[in-house]
Amino acid sequence: MGWFGILSEKPWIPEAQGTSAEWGRTAYTPAVKISLRFMLGIISVFFLLFFVTFISRSQYDDFLALAGEPWQPFTNSMRLWINSGVLVLASVAMQGAVYALRRNHHFRLLVLLATGAVLAILFIILQISVWQFLAGMGYSVAGNPANSYFYILTGLHVLHLVGGLVALGRVVNSLREEGDLQNRHAAIEACAVYWHYLLGLWFVLFFMLTRTPETYALIAAACGLG
Amino acid sequence: MTHIAIADQTAHLHHPKTFIGKYIWSQDHKVIAIQYSVTAIFVGLIALLLSVLMRLQLGFPGEFNFISPDAYLQFVTMHGMIMVIYLLTALLLGGFGNYLIPLMVGTRDMVFPYLNMLSYWFYLASVIVLLSSFFVTGGPTGAGWTLYPPQSILAGTPGAGSGIVLMLLSLTIFIIAFTMGGLNYVTTIFQARTRGMTLMRMPLTIWGILTATILGLLAFPALLVSAIMMLFDALLGTSFFMPAIVSLGEPLNHEGGSPILFQHLFWFFGHPEVYIVALPAFGMVSDVLSVHARKNIFGYRMMVWAIVIIGGLSFIVWAHHMYVSGMNPYFGFFFATTTLIIAVPTAIKVYNWVLTLWRGNIHLTVPMLFAIGFIFTFTHGGLSGLFLGNVVVDLPLSDTFFVVAHFHMVMGVSPIMVLFAALYHWFPLVSGKQLHTGLGKVHFWGTFLGTYAIYLPMHYLGFLGVPRRYYALGDTSFIPESAHVLNEDITIAAIIVALFQLVFVVNVIWTLRSGPRSVRNPWGVASLEWHTPDVPPAHGNWGDALPTVHRWAYDYSVPGAKQDFIPQHVAEENVEYEAGGRRVGEGE
Repeated sequence: MGWFGILSEKPWIPEAQGTSAEWGRTAYTPAVKISLRFMLGIISVFFLLFFVTFISRSQYDDFLALAGEPWQPFTNSMRLWINSGVLVLASVAMQGAVYALRRNHHFRLLVLLATGAVLAILFIILQISVWQFLAGMGYSVAGNPANSYFYILTGLHVLHLVGGLVALGRVVNSLREEGDLQNRHAAIEACAVYWHYLLGLWFVLFFMLTRTPETYALIAAACGLG
Repeated sequence: MTHIAIADQTAHLHHPKTFIGKYIWSQDHKVIAIQYSVTAIFVGLIALLLSVLMRLQLGFPGEFNFISPDAYLQFVTMHGMIMVIYLLTALLLGGFGNYLIPLMVGTRDMVFPYLNMLSYWFYLASVIVLLSSFFVTGGPTGAGWTLYPPQSILAGTPGAGSGIVLMLLSLTIFIIAFTMGGLNYVTTIFQARTRGMTLMRMPLTIWGILTATILGLLAFPALLVSAIMMLFDALLGTSFFMPAIVSLGEPLNHEGGSPILFQHLFWFFGHPEVYIVALPAFGMVSDVLSVHARKNIFGYRMMVWAIVIIGGLSFIVWAHHMYVSGMNPYFGFFFATTTLIIAVPTAIKVYNWVLTLWRGNIHLTVPMLFAIGFIFTFTHGGLSGLFLGNVVVDLPLSDTFFVVAHFHMVMGVSPIMVLFAALYHWFPLVSGKQLHTGLGKVHFWGTFLGTYAIYLPMHYLGFLGVPRRYYALGDTSFIPESAHVLNEDITIAAIIVALFQLVFVVNVIWTLRSGPRSVRNPWGVASLEWHTPDVPPAHGNWGDALPTVHRWAYDYSVPGAKQDFIPQHVAEENVEYEAGGRRVGEGE
């Protein structure tokens, strides 16, 4: 039943005698899946608000984009492409873990989960090296709003990845205990979805942070912020 | 498909053995609710004290030497922030949300009890960080609860050093706490309801809490974004919100930031925050009115729709807080229109509350008195909101005491009236004892009449043009002597109202220590929370088996039924009817 149907119910009409109570739900969705949907919604709103402020701020005179001219750090964004590749592989490993889980290959499941985690950690290390590269070129946090946004947004992305690693650690730890199999499956699948989400978010960040002033002007005009 | 949800499984319940496990590091939603409530009430009493101090300054300027201009601004700021975030949001959602959701939807606990426990400890940490700002050099921030940059982080504003940083850190921790709690509330409501508990059979309390939690989950990120960016501006010298500026004769390193951007972010959170506080209150007052009028809630479906519509609209009205900041006139028109549209579902709710009372068997119990009091205060506050929603009326009234009176009536006094209605109503369930009725009535009349004595004259001060946030008015030609007399009267009324709250504190302590035990379900409530095997409910809530729900939560005074209420878990075939009374399914 859709939301319109649910909200149109007439609960004051009692059940006829002898009819059994209906379930409040039509299908079982594990709690972890429902909470993940909400969490991804919250994170999306969080970053969306940053993007709105970013695009708005990009139209001020003092904003110096990080790409466009040959001397700017991300005119050649090879470093970021390498990092992206690592995060793609992490996501592939996590998806592989989901397939291994469905086929009951426990050893392969553990290996792939560990691979997903190690690649995520490698991505974090590579991101830190990008920050060092930027700082080495004199692009400090407070130097320009474009730099500030780069550090703050990539930093927050890394923090979300660290949170994902903690959650994955707890899920792996719970695999050793007895428990509801369906919920544990849902938890591993949720970790994989979270990895994919953070990969998608990274590509959005990559795109947003490495455009030229002309592209920012176009986006701002399209959003009514120009 | 039949299944057992996580929260149904007794095996998953964490059964603590020690005192610390039971009452300190507890994962039981009821203990966490009490922890949230006690902390929120404690910090709320501090905010109440701050309001009395600021009223002393306004009523009797120059009489109290310890209230300096800086201290006054700090009292104003901390009073506002504590009341809105750390008292109302925490008590309504962390306190009542935690206690009532699992009991009202028929589950054993929240779906993630560990996360729920963490939520409280993060909340407590946020309170400690906030209160610690009273003890650092420069004291707490005095930037006003809206924390507008650039002044909030500039030298010259009280608490511009450590105070504002601690405030922003505290808010960040609070938002993390709320997110952990909020995820639990929505997931529990969507996933772990007991058999038969369809969404439209849920009490309106749960609808209010659910919608408010979703609003919070989507609106608090805006505050988090602004807090993070302002922390960067304050600590690392970035220029997100800070324009090029000269402070105390020295040019600062900031350049090009936009203070208006902060205002948009703040109010994108700030306006839904009004409804984060109001919607649970709407839900709870609906249930209290229905129970104590022994009548089903009038227009249940419309009440649910109104809650959902108000929640949706609350995201597209935020700039009505910024008319004086300057904006495109078409924006002003848009936000004025959306603001006034919200009055429609809100008015539907008020009509439905009144129509619930119409021809009801009204029992003027203490919870009912507070609930009826709420209808008055909320209607008055809402009507002055119609004035302020219009751009041309708002401009002259902005930053005057009219605004202060409006928002205190609508989101200060009104939710507090509901909170007291709820505390008196659910106290027998939580403690097994009933609060003293006589003391409760004294508390109600003192609070109800006293708050009117404070806020009705305050509207008049606003019309005169008396500005808010001023330490002292001095000899201002357009403010007559009568305004100063009114200010004194308001201060005396505020002190009296504050003292009346001690009656409530005494009532709670006396009842817990030596009050008589309450009878089971003393108000004759139909919803599930009063029908647990043990009262107060034991750990796991429902004994061996979860209840099965057969009806909505409002079967009061059902024609022909012997009892004047039919609990939600009673099947139609088990309802006793008078001879000749009608049974469902008969004669149809």
